[in-house]
Amino acid sequence: MKAVTWTGINQLSVEDVPEPQILNDHDVILKVRRTTTCGSDLHLLSGYIPFMRAGDVIGHEFMGEVVEVGKAVRERKVGDRVVVASFVSCGNCWYCRQEMYSLCDNSNPNPGITEGLWGQSIGGCIGYSHAVGGYAGSHAEYVRVPYADVGSFVVPDGVSDDRALFASDAASTAFTGVDLGGVRPGDTVAVWGAGGVGQLAARISAIVGAAQVFVVDRLPERLEQARTHAGAETIDYTTTDVAAELRERTGGRGPDVCIEAVGMEAHAPGAHGVYDQVKQQLRLQTDRPTAVREAVMACRKGGSVFTLGVFASMVDKFPLGAIMNKGLTLRGAQVHGPRYIPRLLELMERDELVTEHLATHVMPLSEAPRGYELFKEKQDGCVRAVFTP
Amino acid sequence: MPNPLLDRAADLGGTLLNRLQGLKLPGVGTASVSDDPERAARRWRAVTVLCSPADVRVDDLPAPLVALGSLVEVRVTPAPGDKGTEIAARYRATPSDEELGRLRAALRASKQLLETGEVLRMDPRPHGERKQTPQGRLLDGVVANAKKEGVL
Ligand SMILES: NC(=O)c1ccc[n+]([C@@H]2O[C@H](COP(=O)([O-])OP(=O)(O)OC[C@H]3O[C@@H](n4cnc5c(N)ncnc54)[C@H](O)[C@@H]3O)[C@@H](O)[C@H]2O)c1
Ligand SMILES: [Zn+2]
Ligand SMILES: [Zn+2]
Repeated sequence: MKAVTWTGINQLSVEDVPEPQILNDHDVILKVRRTTTCGSDLHLLSGYIPFMRAGDVIGHEFMGEVVEVGKAVRERKVGDRVVVASFVSCGNCWYCRQEMYSLCDNSNPNPGITEGLWGQSIGGCIGYSHAVGGYAGSHAEYVRVPYADVGSFVVPDGVSDDRALFASDAASTAFTGVDLGGVRPGDTVAVWGAGGVGQLAARISAIVGAAQVFVVDRLPERLEQARTHAGAETIDYTTTDVAAELRERTGGRGPDVCIEAVGMEAHAPGAHGVYDQVKQQLRLQTDRPTAVREAVMACRKGGSVFTLGVFASMVDKFPLGAIMNKGLTLRGAQVHGPRYIPRLLELMERDELVTEHLATHVMPLSEAPRGYELFKEKQDGCVRAVFTP
Repeated sequence: MPNPLLDRAADLGGTLLNRLQGLKLPGVGTASVSDDPERAARRWRAVTVLCSPADVRVDDLPAPLVALGSLVEVRVTPAPGDKGTEIAARYRATPSDEELGRLRAALRASKQLLETGEVLRMDPRPHGERKQTPQGRLLDGVVANAKKEGVL
């Protein structure tokens, strides 16, 4: 079958690879109908998560049709149209039972790597490097889905493939941030990053009752989408002092909840940005926490800051004093997909959550390298490239 | 064709992963000392399994632990709160790194068997051309050892 493979730093290719097989009784094989680029892939492509092997099939946000089921699968059958959680979860360990699905104890077959990095290993993720399992990814004609009863969800008839696709990862990530960040009715929420994840965090904040939602970015077409589809107020950080603007527009308080959806390759103008970039390139820090720093400083006293953006290891110049003295809660997580996907599909079915506008570039799998180029460079207004294998 | 240089890279990958745990990266800049090698090797290694203590009997352990035979002693205790059951094991004599690796892998596999009924399999999996570069082989070495390494 055809699949998109990582072949080296900033190099992708489309190769003929063997088809996946059922390896465990809880597996299904999916014929992929839609699979999309995610901001997380950019950190892999650029080598900031150095656990990729040439030939690895990438892609973790996808939906498709079940074509084969393992003998212990109870809830899914051949022909089901399903959307699949990007992280793999066994459903039976303590973490899965607490609905902290991305912390599953059993789904990462390479725990030694992340235990070394972080002191504990997290769950596995489809198509996202050997640090989180080394699963073959979804940018392919077929993909293996382990523990399919836990991680796959039948898409209601009224929800299109293009909409359901984003329940897999972007929307469930956004919901994770809104829910665990503690957004409550009447809150003011600020979101850094207007990619798929940030825009959906803004929209879901409004759905759960936030009274005022801000989105911070620099790309005009994304800020425009955040206004139109999430009803957010927007701030361009390249022309505005974000913390000052937020204070002015919130009666001097600052946001109750700040959600960071930018990640370790944050862009920063000026000397500070150069400082972070040089330190990262010299490997004196592995991540650039630009947007998290700003969120911590802008957040109201006693508020909460949630990092949805992916970070790999160490950061420098972190305002710990602000966190301690302002009584902030700082939290982060990888996506707990199965906790939110059923609710997201309901919202999608009722047209309360629309996602089609994120798919600015839809193309066959064979054009994936070009799709990633557009997505990485944010060219031609690209928000997400979606592939149709 | 065998290539000794590339094989060395793979070996180095395995060693590096082992060192990574030794560096205590999460503890960079912290106060605690490192265990001396004897004490580190003889620590009890433990997993917590979400099941009742009655489901794990020391005389009827999951196969991966049984395979280690009488080299290891095993202790089964209820975990506090709602966490299930702790299974801890250690070698009776000071083990080699290789033996410790086998114990980690056996504990992880036993936990999977008890919680999910099977041990996750990964191969064969689809992949494109695996270029035989030193970096690639280094990562192969890391991955080959990842089940047996870790802070467990
Ligand atoms: N936690 C999870 O499980 C999870 C899941 C999916 C994605 N992510 C992460 O979420 C982040 C966003 O993903 P995405 O798909 O939306 O990516 P994306 O690349 O499409 O969007 C990132 C956005 O951040 C903006 N940005 C860059 N620097 C900024 C700054 N200093 N301040 C404000 N905005 C800035 C960029 O202009 C861009 O619009 C990534 O780090 C990704 O890895 C995490
Ligand atoms: Zn993602
Ligand atoms: Zn689990």
